[in-house]
Amino acid sequence: MSTRVVLGLVAGLAAATSTLVAQQAQAPAARANAAPAATKTYKVPMTPWGDPDVQGTWDYKSITPLERNPSLGDRQFYTDAEIKEMEARAGKRMDEPPPANERGGTVHAAYWTDPGRLVDESRRTSLVIDPPNGRIPPTVGGRRGAPAPTTGDEEAPGAAAGAGRGGGRGGGGGRPGGRADSWLDRSLLERCITWGLPTATLPGLYNNNIQIVQSPNFVTITHEMVHDTRVIPIEGRGVPAARLPAWLGNSVAHWEGDTLVVDTKNFNGRVSYRGSTTNLHLTERFRRIGPDNVDFRLTVQDPTVWTAPWTVALMMRTSEGPIVEYACHEGNYGLRNILENARDEEKAAAPAAKGK
Amino acid sequence: MVLAAVSVLAGAVPVVAHHSFAAEFDSNKPVSLKGVVTKMEWINPHSWIHLDVKNPDGTVTQWMIEGGTPNTLVRRGFTRDSLKNGTEIQVEGFRAKNGANRANGRDLILPDGRRLFMGSSGTGAPKDGKDPTEK
Repeated sequence: MSTRVVLGLVAGLAAATSTLVAQQAQAPAARANAAPAATKTYKVPMTPWGDPDVQGTWDYKSITPLERNPSLGDRQFYTDAEIKEMEARAGKRMDEPPPANERGGTVHAAYWTDPGRLVDESRRTSLVIDPPNGRIPPTVGGRRGAPAPTTGDEEAPGAAAGAGRGGGRGGGGGRPGGRADSWLDRSLLERCITWGLPTATLPGLYNNNIQIVQSPNFVTITHEMVHDTRVIPIEGRGVPAARLPAWLGNSVAHWEGDTLVVDTKNFNGRVSYRGSTTNLHLTERFRRIGPDNVDFRLTVQDPTVWTAPWTVALMMRTSEGPIVEYACHEGNYGLRNILENARDEEKAAAPAAKGK
Repeated sequence: MVLAAVSVLAGAVPVVAHHSFAAEFDSNKPVSLKGVVTKMEWINPHSWIHLDVKNPDGTVTQWMIEGGTPNTLVRRGFTRDSLKNGTEIQVEGFRAKNGANRANGRDLILPDGRRLFMGSSGTGAPKDGKDPTEK
């Protein structure tokens, strides 16, 4: 496992990718059903005050999609050939020039993004492990999830974790890229307010890192995207947060054996994940299963939105380096540019006679 | 079999980005610019490269090119010294919707043809003899 982690850090080496694939081919697919073999002998280190130590800076990027492609049916694991193909494609995107005919895409050069090169170690065909079909459950009353107002364009298709954007006043307004009468129309991301939960725990295009720091009474989780830190009281120890609805909700932690469990409720309703409401309840489980790995589980429930809870599993790895400060307001020219473009479009559309 | 696999695997890479492309740039306005770097803004949430582009009539136009997040750049080995003022680069991208002299940088190419930091075989930065890893 650690070999794979180390190799994963040697980004861009085709040889490394090949090696990984070869190693994976030897791994039994069944390992995904249970904790990886390393956990059988791995003894979780303890903090000086006797809690399991899950501290570290953890990288959760992955090219495994959040939901299983429906054409895969009930198939839970990728084949070796599929993994090879996916990882080769992901590497190519990072290491080769963009296709000459590419139109649009992201704001950034593809090779300046960091979505990862590897499928999750479980080899599963989706990050969603429950329901067993790998798909987020149907919504209550058949309503559409993920209203995600004022999203852009490139984000929508195939978004692995997305639709946590929310926060804009909504509606496309007939304008490519969405309505832009005011900054209030734009997403929380473009406004640098928050990436929101659970989006900040699921793989995205870059900044897929968290840092966990423990003390006897509190645990902090710093999300690199977008520079948010949760200070989480341990139940019965730390002073609970004020019960005020919050952008990131109120998180409370407890230990179940070696597993750090964080429950989060009391969201303010201003950030929506796939249509989630103030009834959103998240349960995160962090379990260190090796020096460089944390087994992460996330259960999402909102009975006003989904007909059943659903659970994601992914393997976090030791990050390549420390969290990098993403002080998003520092130079958010993009938001200004978006509004400027919209104003200029209005001027161009105004009757030529105007002003005469 | 191979074709089926491709369709199954398509779109697997997460593409959740931070800012809308379509609200800022126009995919019908491709630009190809050659210019000299005057400033690399190492800034959140996205870096910006300032370029002086010489026009055929000898005048100079200042352009701004949107780049990656500082987080990504630093993880790919890019440093503040990787793109020095005075370096000539070619930028392939798409222009701002309103025709301003801004573009996204979908491809950034150094005079020797290398991409501006792509892959792991070096930063792609110009060689100035100061980097101990230079060969």
